[in-house]
Amino acid sequence: MKQIQIPFGMRDLFPQECAVKSRLEERISRVYESYGYQKIETPLIEFYSTYQNTFTSLKEETMYKFVDESGQILALRTDMTLPIARLCATKYGNVEGPFRFSYCANVYKVRQNFAGKRNEVTDCGIELIGLDDGSDLEVLSCALDVMAALPVANSTLEIGNSNFFKMAVREAGIGKEDARQLADLIDAKAMTDVREKLQTLPIDEKARAFFEHLPLFNGEDALQEALKYSFAPSLKQEAERFVKLAEDLNTLGYQDRFAFDLGKVPHLDYYTGIIFEGFVPGIGTAVLSGGRYDDLLKKVGRDMPAIGFGVKVDYLLDAVKEETETKRQLAYPQKCLIEALQYARVLRKEGPLELVRDDTIDKPEVR
Amino acid sequence: MSLSVALTKGRLEKAAAEMLEEAGYGVEKLKNKGRALVFADTEKDVRYFLVKANDCITYIEHGVADIGIVGKDTLMEGGSDYYEMLDLEIGQCRFIVGGLKGCDPLQKNGHIRIGTKYPEVARRYFASRGMDVEIIRIEGSVELGPVLGLCDGIVDIMETGTTLKENGLEVYDTVARISARVIVNKASFKLKRKEVMTFISDLERIVKKHAEGNQ
Repeated sequence: MKQIQIPFGMRDLFPQECAVKSRLEERISRVYESYGYQKIETPLIEFYSTYQNTFTSLKEETMYKFVDESGQILALRTDMTLPIARLCATKYGNVEGPFRFSYCANVYKVRQNFAGKRNEVTDCGIELIGLDDGSDLEVLSCALDVMAALPVANSTLEIGNSNFFKMAVREAGIGKEDARQLADLIDAKAMTDVREKLQTLPIDEKARAFFEHLPLFNGEDALQEALKYSFAPSLKQEAERFVKLAEDLNTLGYQDRFAFDLGKVPHLDYYTGIIFEGFVPGIGTAVLSGGRYDDLLKKVGRDMPAIGFGVKVDYLLDAVKEETETKRQLAYPQKCLIEALQYARVLRKEGPLELVRDDTIDKPEVR
Repeated sequence: MSLSVALTKGRLEKAAAEMLEEAGYGVEKLKNKGRALVFADTEKDVRYFLVKANDCITYIEHGVADIGIVGKDTLMEGGSDYYEMLDLEIGQCRFIVGGLKGCDPLQKNGHIRIGTKYPEVARRYFASRGMDVEIIRIEGSVELGPVLGLCDGIVDIMETGTTLKENGLEVYDTVARISARVIVNKASFKLKRKEVMTFISDLERIVKKHAEGNQ
């Protein structure tokens, strides 16, 4: 007989994985709750045009799309940030911020076939809408507390700054298209290609040296290096702001749990300030990611600054080994069914219990 | 922390092993291998394994290997979720546009058909020139395409150009220069930065040395 299949990139979760996953979600949600975030839900389906009008560099082939009865194109949400921004701009139009929302929801992206990647993942995150970069530290603390709440050792939160690159591009007078190409190369730390690209740009030696070293502004001396190569006062100032941020994080007791990478410059047209990613040993990709996106709300109809991040819970499943508790069982012969159900009602108050029929015994017994 | 390094089997394997040896890594087992696929370094805390070029990217993107050595041709055709940190300047060759003598596909009017093993590279190249072409995927002996009339031109890797010439084909443009690159898993770079950077700078030293030697 032909076996029924599931679509590419989809996965069934078995009881043990589900138990681990929901415990992870609880741990994460507890942190968000403690920071005063309120959980919200939005529909799984949005209009495709909502995404199309908001993201200039949207990759349409990565979205699940379908058509409703009136011919409008619908899409499965690819993130929770846009739905929440939409909700803030429309349903909270008259309410003054700031808004603190949290979510734990499935998001969808079509990925390359046969690459072992998931197309459906659960994203648990927060959005803080209506506060400027003065709230960066609060959100970073929350992200660091979430990383600490995960049952994994040696995790690290890496912090970058998309402004640093944008400022440098402005100061050096690099055009928009060249800047976009350069950002892609720097973000991929493609050192050879970065050097080749810089050769083609009419910039001075100091600027060239800055961009050449930018991909390696990470590790322990990241900020000192950044200061050293900063070729304009505005850049120095921004680097110093980060030195202060590092001090503040240390004062708050987060030393050794974060690092900087100023060469992290993804999605330039989306992020407007700090960006950060959380990594745990054994997982090849970031499990937490977020940043500041002050221009997004404007595009959905309300100009407010915003920052947020999310944890991809499914990515963590491979790194987390939590023991599942052994369940108690109550065995009973069929003739004692009523007695067993009554007894079970008492026992359930102390914890989970599973009924097992066993006609070889005379009366119910706990195992 | 120990490093896993995925090496591309075949053309790059020997040259990469020689560079590693020169940089002080213990790769004897790699050079005198039987059928084994995984090798421990005899000097340092490094483990090597041999994989096919395309799989190298897969292993790196999943973080099963921390570092990979693979040709730029493979990187250009697929994948992007890794750091590409060093040009080893070995295995040098180039992507070219070729066609029969006197039949430059870049000058042809009307429908143009291009045969290639690298459809993504070809697609991007022609798109960047604003040309609308039909790309036909061929798995091997791409030079045959124009000769037999399957396509007007080819996009392929060229090392010496001998095969091309012997089949009456000419080079009409260079798409990109190619050499072996060191790629790094993004999470490994964060979590094992010291080890990764040591490995990179060890190899970088040899690259520089070779470059000076060639001058």
